[in-house]
Amino acid sequence: METKIDSMELVYAKPETLTDTPMHYCPGCGHGVAHKILMEVIDEMGITENTIGVAPVGCSVFAYMYMNVDMQEAAHGRASAAATGIKRVLPDKFVFSYQGDGDLAAIGTAETIHTVNRGENILMVFINNGIYGMTGGQMAPTSLAGMKTSTSPYGRDCATMGTPIKMTELIANLPGAYYVTRQSVHTPAAVRKLKKAIKASFEAQKQKKGTCFIEIVSNCPSGWKMTPLESNDWMEKNMFPYYTPGDIKVPQEMK
Amino acid sequence: MDSRQQYAGMTIENMSTPQIKIRTGNQMIAEGALHAGCLFFAGYPITPASGIYKSMIEELPKRNGVAISSPDEISALAYCVGASARGVKAMTATSGPGWSLMIETVQYALMTELPVVIAMVQRLGPSTGGATQGAQGDIFLTEYCTSGAYTIPMFAPSTAQECFEVTTLAMFWAEELRTPVIVLSDKEIGMTSEDVDFASLKSFPVNHRKQIENVNGNSYKTYDFKNLSDVPLFAPVGGKHKTTVTGSAHDKCGALQKNSPETIEVLRHLQRKITSRAQEMAFIKTDDDPKAEILLISFGITARTAREAVKQAREQGIKVRLVNVISLFPIPEALLRNAAIGVHTVFVAEENLTGQYRSVIQHLFENKRVVGINGFGKMITPNDILECITV
Repeated sequence: METKIDSMELVYAKPETLTDTPMHYCPGCGHGVAHKILMEVIDEMGITENTIGVAPVGCSVFAYMYMNVDMQEAAHGRASAAATGIKRVLPDKFVFSYQGDGDLAAIGTAETIHTVNRGENILMVFINNGIYGMTGGQMAPTSLAGMKTSTSPYGRDCATMGTPIKMTELIANLPGAYYVTRQSVHTPAAVRKLKKAIKASFEAQKQKKGTCFIEIVSNCPSGWKMTPLESNDWMEKNMFPYYTPGDIKVPQEMK
Repeated sequence: MDSRQQYAGMTIENMSTPQIKIRTGNQMIAEGALHAGCLFFAGYPITPASGIYKSMIEELPKRNGVAISSPDEISALAYCVGASARGVKAMTATSGPGWSLMIETVQYALMTELPVVIAMVQRLGPSTGGATQGAQGDIFLTEYCTSGAYTIPMFAPSTAQECFEVTTLAMFWAEELRTPVIVLSDKEIGMTSEDVDFASLKSFPVNHRKQIENVNGNSYKTYDFKNLSDVPLFAPVGGKHKTTVTGSAHDKCGALQKNSPETIEVLRHLQRKITSRAQEMAFIKTDDDPKAEILLISFGITARTAREAVKQAREQGIKVRLVNVISLFPIPEALLRNAAIGVHTVFVAEENLTGQYRSVIQHLFENKRVVGINGFGKMITPNDILECITV
């Protein structure tokens, strides 16, 4: 049986660029929403055929199954480097990389810094949930002070393990960074802000302005050993004071 | 023919009643390293090796050891080599993709003669491959990773219990030879929980690299040796002797030189000190049939399959000798040649596409048929082996 919805009644539809494949993400994980918003913007801008994404190693390794644009899964940490190669030979296409904190802020630190320093004309999406999700909840460079993970069973001791790295603030100092912002996906209001940021980034890319960098502070209910609601609550109380959502570097012409 | 007797009587606790605990191979590699006096571990998350990292991070602080989470595998092994330069026993653990990044420092450790143990828990490759899919496809990637293809001692356990024994063995030879040593495990051994009898754990002797005693003034040479096969006496960094360590080609003082006769001698020595001890390192476990007509060689997880296949084959009246190779490299040539006496066919069972280990040992079996039994993308079953050896 086919139910037909009159277009007058249609108030919401899944973006066409998001596939129908059921996502493998844990219940409550922010990845799914981040994927959807990214694809929604691509739909709205009508750039599906002109967009290429580079996925990481980690939980979002399967991003290519959900994002119906050309996707390349790079080796661990190398997404922005692979994206650089793609963008250099296809300068008129829209190119984005999508990485977690272990990928972008640990093993891919050199690639991240140098991609932004060159002002590579791409969008870098950075999901920060303060943990290595897929490999079993190990401590990431972004794990909060005192945070217990499978490899910081006694809590993160900043004296020996370093303070949680603020990658986004770090790269904002580089002249190649055009637009740098920190967002989240845990409330409808947050989602709307993120959408605006993604759209602005692709617009800037069209005008060849340099690297746009969006950190999405997110949750990891499984890795944090919490329910989805608890994890969002914990994120607001613990992650946000340290990784405060908001714009970090906004060019004059975008203000 | 079985070299096992070399290690007889090395049970660490002589308890008559079994003490069974449920452990993974990864946990037992950590246990073995700790027993051997490893006090430094650096790691980076990677399936299927993360269990070793987790265990060491939990245990080392309790023993005044140091455990560090690194931002990548390049750093992980470099941290270990730094600690080793002080004389601290160090280990890291990884899988194929991480190993690829470590190769730089594996070569550095070999060149600088700084011992370190690397637990390589294989998964299906190439590249990121299949994180949770087992394989035995990294034999060449690990063994032949150096410019010049220097011999890196490599030992392969096939059970969680053996993981303990083999890791103490790796720690021993790393110290003894001042060189990187590999424990070659795989996803099935590393991540499967099984019975381990702590009352019958075997350990290789716990040793320390031989250190320099008193030398007058500044006459200590970092890489001094008389014979090519000698292992230079060690002086820790931050100690009373000035040490000079470099990954570049160097003379006996550790001074960078391109190809002076002394430098070439040092480079030859790096290989000779390993191969001259090959017979001592040779370690196989044999399940013999004196009237054997065929020889089945295997290692790691596939050796367990082979055991079951041999049991069933014997029930069918097939005369087969089984050799489980523990010391994959240096290749235990004499033991393998010996094991093939009287047989007409040698089967080599391994879980990789091209028969990597077979290709480096088949020259040992002149005038015999050598047949590979290979699985790829899945474990080899006893039936797979049985079908081959009963034809």
